[in-house]
Amino acid sequence: MSIFLDKLFAHSTKFIAITILFIVAWIFTVLVEHSMESIHAFGFDFLTTDIWAPNLEKFGALPAIYGSVVSTFLAMILAIPLAIGVAIFLSELAPARLKTPVGVSIELLAAIPSVIYGMWGLFYFVPIIRDAFGGVGISMLTAGIILSIMILPFMAAVTRDAMNTTPDILKESAYALGGTKWDVIKDVIIPYAKAGIIGSVILALGRAIGETMAVTFVMGNVHKISLDLTMPATSIPVALANEFTEADGDLYYSSLFELSLILLVISFAIISVAKFYFLRRKRD
Amino acid sequence: MATIIDIKEEIALQVKDFEYTYAGADAPSVKKLNMPIAKNSITALIGPSGCGKTTLLRSFNRMHDLYPGNKYAGEILFKNRNILDKNEDLIHLRTQIGMIFQKPTAFPMSIFDNVAYGLRLQGIKNKTELQDRVEKSLQNAAIWKEVKDRLKHDANGLSGGQQQRLCIARAIAVEPEVLLFDEPTSALDPISTAGIEELVVELKEKVSIIIVTHNMQQAARVSDYTGFMYLGELIELGVTENMFVTPTEKLTEEYITGKFG
Amino acid sequence: MTHTHKRIIINRIVMSLSSLSALIGMGFLFWILGVLIYNGVDALNWNIFLNEGAPPGHEDGGLKHALIGQLYIVGVATLAGVPLGVLAGTYLSEYGQKSKLAETIRDISDIMMSAPSIVIGAFVYAVVVMPMGHFSGWAGSIALTIIMLPIILRTTDDMLHLVPSTLREAAFALGAPKYKVIIQVVYRGAKAGILTGVLLGIARVAGETAPLLFTSFNDNFLNTNMNESMASLTVTMFNYATSPYEDWQKLGWAAAFILSMFILSLNIVGRLFLLKKKGR
Repeated sequence: MSIFLDKLFAHSTKFIAITILFIVAWIFTVLVEHSMESIHAFGFDFLTTDIWAPNLEKFGALPAIYGSVVSTFLAMILAIPLAIGVAIFLSELAPARLKTPVGVSIELLAAIPSVIYGMWGLFYFVPIIRDAFGGVGISMLTAGIILSIMILPFMAAVTRDAMNTTPDILKESAYALGGTKWDVIKDVIIPYAKAGIIGSVILALGRAIGETMAVTFVMGNVHKISLDLTMPATSIPVALANEFTEADGDLYYSSLFELSLILLVISFAIISVAKFYFLRRKRD
Repeated sequence: MATIIDIKEEIALQVKDFEYTYAGADAPSVKKLNMPIAKNSITALIGPSGCGKTTLLRSFNRMHDLYPGNKYAGEILFKNRNILDKNEDLIHLRTQIGMIFQKPTAFPMSIFDNVAYGLRLQGIKNKTELQDRVEKSLQNAAIWKEVKDRLKHDANGLSGGQQQRLCIARAIAVEPEVLLFDEPTSALDPISTAGIEELVVELKEKVSIIIVTHNMQQAARVSDYTGFMYLGELIELGVTENMFVTPTEKLTEEYITGKFG
Repeated sequence: MTHTHKRIIINRIVMSLSSLSALIGMGFLFWILGVLIYNGVDALNWNIFLNEGAPPGHEDGGLKHALIGQLYIVGVATLAGVPLGVLAGTYLSEYGQKSKLAETIRDISDIMMSAPSIVIGAFVYAVVVMPMGHFSGWAGSIALTIIMLPIILRTTDDMLHLVPSTLREAAFALGAPKYKVIIQVVYRGAKAGILTGVLLGIARVAGETAPLLFTSFNDNFLNTNMNESMASLTVTMFNYATSPYEDWQKLGWAAAFILSMFILSLNIVGRLFLLKKKGR
């Protein structure tokens, strides 16, 4: 009896664990399957066409891809220096009595759902952008800024963790040669934690590019490529969030599924690079 | 009262009524300590764990200042000034008083850049001067022959013993007057340890050396003077040969004969 | 000395910049928190918990429908996700260990933890909503379960791994079969850690909006039938906030406040559990 239960327990845990792999494979298959109609209709042109016209049954992903890339890029260039500044502050600069409370609040803020950042952006940040640049305030720029604020706590927290892996004794050695704090940070801590810091930044990038709610409020979902950052725009997640429930017609749906597939492939690639190239898990 | 013999050499550092209290601690970890450190000699600090010897050592280059809330009292005189003074320039002090740690601490950069690091901090940019001084330091640290063909390689590719000698080369490159060794061989195998000990003895021609060690044989092998510390106090400072044969204090005798610690 | 002076000045500049960026970062974040509390407390009243949604212009609109819908959707996801995640994590730590299969499952779960949740929504739409022909609470729960699974699995794996192997060996030495060792000894040793993982997992999915948009969809009235579209706090918040009606926007802030407080409390309680364990 005991042997039977033992085997049953072992096999059922294994079965459930393997189910995870199965689900992931299933997600890919289903997305590919549902994208087929769009793939057949547009082929590679889907990626390079800048027209998204449901009424004409013509779909091109370029504006959404462009919007995803530009908004994420904006978010990254705004967030990276701030996050590294916060990380340096938390790991090297803050007095002991500030380190824990500030560190914990950063971590808690990383836990606040992105829908709240989006709502805050809509009510408090859109008017600022409107006053500063004219227009409606709903724009690529607004989306980039809100996105950067949303990923800032996550990026700062993981970058700090990476910096904290530098052994004290290594830092002390550099101080013992007459280094200033900044000398020690740039010559010892950053080189030592380089892989971890780059990995954290890329991981934040992977999260940012798939982030939906923080940008959906403030981007506008306009499928038009504009070099003017103060114009409304769209991104893959924004298009999905706005149009999935309203789509009519198989080709429309299929194009949306292809957008999801593109997004999943891009994020899988980015997250894999971060996790496996830079943040290889260490265990014993 | 502690037994402190007279030093016949010049004095490099003079510790006067020194006390040190860690942040948040009620009692000082080093108490009312008086101690001369002889110039161009090796002074070993021995004593059981927690006796305050490393705490004292890390006061000579104000390493404690990296962590907030610690308190110094008394004086440590070095070149006619009290280095515990609030206005002491710590960056300058640390170029005059270097330190070697329990574990090798090669920076994540090339062998050459490791040794050149302190020199570059001082603003030396001239290539030939850097090369000359790096080579000289590596020779003085008895590691030049092993690394001269791979100066551009990552320093972390060296063995533990080599890395520790590299750290010594890095420390002497900036030509300090005092070198602090904090159990420099505790992470090394016996052969590397012998190499480091030999090197330490050679170095005293140019610098004054203070070495903290757990290993009494090591203290006996390398040092000229030995200070025995217990519970934050200096119990006895003597000439090494005499200390290990005829200690004056009863506590010292008990410690070196292995009755405690 | 001039070079050293230069270094000292550069050091001061960089350190000020770092403190400034910390200040800016914290400033933004506290601005958001402040706004949330200010608007949330302002909008809170008992009617919110007692009344269902109302058309714009009605004074007595509430969030009861969204609160209960949220409870159902997240509750079902938790009931499914926690046991599955814990068992799968048990396989990784206790059976698979460092095998290729276990490592692959770890890698894939790590990626899934950061994968875009809206794509999970699209997947569930394809495999649940389309065949059923309509949105449903079940579909929302399934999407959240898929998001929760890798989180619970990886924390369980890590927490079980922290249980010293001597504890297992001691139990084996008494002749216990492996499943009993795991259930009676290993789980107990990792209790606090697993609980923290569960709390953080719930906190994470409770804030998800994107995967619910086209699975559980929304409903402005109370519905407890998981077979039909169902309101959630997050989707309601999105719809209300983007509506042009001021009273709906106000309810949106109330929803935002309630949700944030719930999620922050889960996070704080989870951390306290871990701290308490470390302290012992």
